[in-house]
Amino acid sequence: MQQGGGSETEVTWEDQQNINKFGRLNNRLHELHDEIKIAKSFPEKHRLPPLKPPIPTASPLQTTPPYPPPVRHIPAAQREANDNLEDASNELILTDEEVVRFQIGEVFAHVPKDEVESRIEQMQEATSQKLEKLEEEKKSVVAQMSELKKILYGKFGESINLEED
Amino acid sequence: RRGIPGAQFVEDVQTYLTQLGLDVNSALAFLQERLQQYKVVEMKLLAQQRELQAKIPDIEKCLEVVATLQAKKGTGEELIADFEVSEGIYSRASIEETDSVCLWLGANVMLEYSLEEASALLQKNLDNARASLEVLVADLLFLRDQTTITQVTIARVYNWDVHQRRTQQVAATTIAQE
Repeated sequence: MQQGGGSETEVTWEDQQNINKFGRLNNRLHELHDEIKIAKSFPEKHRLPPLKPPIPTASPLQTTPPYPPPVRHIPAAQREANDNLEDASNELILTDEEVVRFQIGEVFAHVPKDEVESRIEQMQEATSQKLEKLEEEKKSVVAQMSELKKILYGKFGESINLEED
Repeated sequence: RRGIPGAQFVEDVQTYLTQLGLDVNSALAFLQERLQQYKVVEMKLLAQQRELQAKIPDIEKCLEVVATLQAKKGTGEELIADFEVSEGIYSRASIEETDSVCLWLGANVMLEYSLEEASALLQKNLDNARASLEVLVADLLFLRDQTTITQVTIARVYNWDVHQRRTQQVAATTIAQE
C-alpha cells in the first residue's frame, strides 16, 4: 500500500474493516479466476484410443471386434475441460466401436458406448453448473470491490492505492 | 487464534506510541517483524492448503472406482480395465464380481474392506479433508486481515512521524525567524 505524504487523515476501525474486506475480496477474485480456468480445463475422463495391436487369441475377453488401427491420439497436453468433454462426446459419435475405454480413477474401464454417453453428459452438466456458479460469484465480488473502492478513495483520496500492481 | 497473534488496531498513533513506550523507529521495526512472522505462517498455511486440495480429488476418484464396482456387482459381468504398467505401457485386467476391495492406508499398509465399508471409509476421509480445508481457509482469511492491519499501521506510524518532523521543522524555522 502506498504511504501518504505525511497526511493527517485518521483511519477509523470502520475504514480498517473496509480495507480488510477489500483485501479479502481481491484475493478471492484471484482464486476465482484460477478456479474458473480450471473448471474450463478439467482434464480427465477422455477415451483412450487403443495403444497396442489386437490380441490375436480367441480369448473370452475379446468380446469386441478387433480394434481399428491406433487412431486419433488425444494428446496429454489437450486439457480443455468442457472442451475435453465436448471432444470426448464428438469422438464417441464418430467411433463405431461398441465398447469404449473410459477413464475411472487411474484405470481405463471397458464401458458400453451408451453408458459412456450418459456419463459424459452428466459430467458436462455438473461442470457447466459449477462454471455458472463461479462466474456469478466473480460478478458479485467485482461489484463489491468497486463499491469499496468508491468509499475508500472518497475518504483517503491520494493516500491509498487500490489498484493491481 | 490458532497460534496467530492478533494485530492490535491503532485508534490514534500518538497514544499507541506512548502506550508501547517505543520511539518511532523501534515501533516500525517491531511492526515489520510482526509482518514477517505473518508471512511465514501464511506460507505454511498455503502449503497445507495445496496439499489438501490435491488429496481431495484423489479421494473422489477412489470413491468413484468403488461405486463402479458396486454397480457392476448385480450384473454378473466382469469389468475389463486397462491400467498403466509403466509410462506408455498398459495392460489389461479382468475384474470379476467381488465383494471387497483393498484400500491403501499409507505407511505401506493395505487393508481389505467390503465394498460398503470401503465406500464409508472413503467418504469419511473426504468429509474430513473438506472440513480441514474449510478451517484452513478461515485461518488464512484471519491471517490476511491481520497482515493488512499491520501494513496500514506501519504506514500510519510512518506518516505520523513524517508529519511530526514537518511540524517540528516549521516550528523551528518560525522560532528562528522571530
